[in-house]
Amino acid sequence: MKDSMLNAIETRLGLSRRSFMQFCAAMAATMGLPKGADAQIAHALVSAKRPPVIWLHFQECTGCTESMLRAEHPTLEKLILDIISLDYHETLFAAAGHQAEAARRASMAANKGKYLLVVEGAIPTKDNGVYCKVGGQTALEMVHECAADAAAIIAIGSCASWGGMPSTSPNPTGATGAPVILKDKAVVTIPGCPPNPYNFLSTVVHYLTFGKLPEVDAKGRPKFAYSRLIHENCERRPHFDAGRFAQEFGDEGHRQGYCLYKLGCKGPETYANCPSILFGDVGSGSWPVGTGHPCIGCTEQGIGFQKPIHELAELKYVLPPVGYPRIVEEQGQGMSAGSAALVAGVGGLAVGAGAVMARNLGKNKKPDDTDFGKE
Amino acid sequence: MSRLVIGPFNRVEGDLEVTLEAADGRVASAQVTAPLFRGFEQILIGRAPLDALVIAPRICGICSISQSVAAARALGQALGVTPPPNGALVADLLLAVENAADHLTHFALFFMPDFARSDYAGRPWHAEAARRFAATAGQSAREAMAARARLLHVVGLLAGKWPHSLTLQPGGVAKSVDLGERVRLGQIVADFRRYLERNLFGGSLESLTALDSFVALEQWGERHGDSDLALFLRLSRDLSLDSQGRGVGRFLSYGGITGRAGLWCDGRVAPLDLAGLREDVSHGWMQGGALHPAQGQTRPDADKPMAYSWSKAPRLDGLSCEVGALARQAVSGHPLIADVLACGGWQGSVHDRVVARLLELAQLVIAMEGMIAALSGEGAYCREHGVPGRAEGAGLTEAARGALGHWLRIEDGVIAGYQIVAPTTWNFSPRDADGNPGPLEQALEGTLLEPGASPPLMVQHIVRSFDPCMSCTVH
Repeated sequence: MKDSMLNAIETRLGLSRRSFMQFCAAMAATMGLPKGADAQIAHALVSAKRPPVIWLHFQECTGCTESMLRAEHPTLEKLILDIISLDYHETLFAAAGHQAEAARRASMAANKGKYLLVVEGAIPTKDNGVYCKVGGQTALEMVHECAADAAAIIAIGSCASWGGMPSTSPNPTGATGAPVILKDKAVVTIPGCPPNPYNFLSTVVHYLTFGKLPEVDAKGRPKFAYSRLIHENCERRPHFDAGRFAQEFGDEGHRQGYCLYKLGCKGPETYANCPSILFGDVGSGSWPVGTGHPCIGCTEQGIGFQKPIHELAELKYVLPPVGYPRIVEEQGQGMSAGSAALVAGVGGLAVGAGAVMARNLGKNKKPDDTDFGKE
Repeated sequence: MSRLVIGPFNRVEGDLEVTLEAADGRVASAQVTAPLFRGFEQILIGRAPLDALVIAPRICGICSISQSVAAARALGQALGVTPPPNGALVADLLLAVENAADHLTHFALFFMPDFARSDYAGRPWHAEAARRFAATAGQSAREAMAARARLLHVVGLLAGKWPHSLTLQPGGVAKSVDLGERVRLGQIVADFRRYLERNLFGGSLESLTALDSFVALEQWGERHGDSDLALFLRLSRDLSLDSQGRGVGRFLSYGGITGRAGLWCDGRVAPLDLAGLREDVSHGWMQGGALHPAQGQTRPDADKPMAYSWSKAPRLDGLSCEVGALARQAVSGHPLIADVLACGGWQGSVHDRVVARLLELAQLVIAMEGMIAALSGEGAYCREHGVPGRAEGAGLTEAARGALGHWLRIEDGVIAGYQIVAPTTWNFSPRDADGNPGPLEQALEGTLLEPGASPPLMVQHIVRSFDPCMSCTVH
């Protein structure tokens, strides 16, 4: 890439070129793109025309925006200013009232068929959608109006993706996700409560770089982020395999950092990249399971906020082993005739060799309090 | 009489509409509408009690830790368990960090950008305000966001993610802190202190919290002219923000990190007694009568005549109260705030609310440093507990925006009642059965509607001075 372009990015984003290239490489890595993609991304971010973005807030808590505001490489406001052109965002926008609505309509008309629509929050459908109104318009009316001429649509957070928290039983307002409302449109969903900001950023960057949204699964989720169970990449997984579990918050197993499956961790049935991408830019362990709380399955419809926290997860395909290795081998108990036979058999040893081994094991001293662990 | 509807209201948390009746160029009366309803209190019914820890905090993505604290305390009271000292310290630290982050966000992203608008071009401070706080572009706003993101590393370390952190339990917290983590926490808070002292205040936190009068604060602004605080004081003086948005003059606090519980009125503090608390629903789209939240119900009725908001109207002994940083400081009796309130006739103003918030920001950082020092490698962070089939509990705390309470009832082993009274439910409540306006509605009355910017700028300053969170208000 030309120096002049990198100089430009330094002043525009207020990022050193090293940080900028790191960001591009991180985006490429998050999306699992092949070598060289980071350069393509860098090129696109520097030279592509900033796509206009309309960001709608419906039945939500602003948590998705809040979590974006704490992303650091780069921060959302840098992304807003320099990578996308945010033409409408209720929380961050300068204008108020009908001015803001006018700005939204003007941008939609000027950028017909070219703008990116981001939906945050669920859309209530009960009683003609009276439970959420923006500028006198229901969320239902507004999302149809804004989706009609959008180039692409991203639903950020579980609420926009599948209804989220407000849609759980008894769903008092008929809260519904954007893909169900916008049946005839392709909607990329980034579920999570809140979702990881980098999954959203990566999706936008993919769109900028390659002119299309990333490959998605049957639920509209980018495959780069949602194709693995949490359980597969969890740092506590060895404890699961070894049968070491926390039973209660604050018990010995919990303090030892054991597996949280028996506290109701939904990692075994939840698809997301939380354990590998982490939250909050503070390094290892910075995600719910890392800090000692079971996964609540916030990305998954029917699990997040619906299944009780302490209900055991359904084990999808990662099953616990039939038998567990022992955690602490008692020393010097000698070998029982049965286990000696097992050792001999398993090892495929001759009976004689097995007998020798059994005899050797039997020579170990019987432990007592004074010399336990010394040997 | 003319009618002006302002909505959607940007740069507040969640959805808000304000309807003004104008007469003789002033606001004759105001109606505050919360146009979003989700039904959390209905969703919680019939759930396993501990699920409240996951569900209730999700009403709000900007004060979710405060909500978690209230839920954990309500459950703790019902279950008969309290956190061990280390667990209580971690919970307090998380709450302090969130409150501080919220105060900073409000100042830099929600409140100050209004003064950068071109309507104020020509004012002596406008160029500086635009350079520092223009929406999404100002230098100070950017620095504030960077400092805030760094401060929230504390939550990343202790609670995995933010918002909707999961660590808080009735018996403590799920995360214990080792020595290395304590050192990192100390460094993060030290960085935040450096940002505040260099950029926001221009002087040490200790000298700021030692200020004891309106005059002393003005002198601070002159001594530290290059700080964000000094800019605010200059424009506040020019626009007479200390006489705008006069409140109801009754301040309620449950006692937060930096203060004590009480009810402040006319310069005197009375002990807090919540027996007379009622949530009035006469002007909300809700069925039923005025009930104490321990017995409260949530039955939406979108067609109710005379109603104009999804919000209920909390009243203590029949009277509205203002909550927030100003209320906490008033009840705690900080000399600077006592003097500022006295100068303004004991009612509070746009100026007073902002000053109280910034003062508290400094106090919170000093408090965080103390908490990190007090954390111990020894001792438990969480206590075990059972769940009774039948119990009641109330969880009271202070979110950045003010008094927050959760009231919980467990029957047959599941949640039979759950009511949340959030800070902005107090401040932005609609009228009650006697026709008395809520605090914001009252604060807007009499405001001069200058021709020009629409919606009128002073109305926007007054609304935002409360730091509303509409997601919490109606849930």
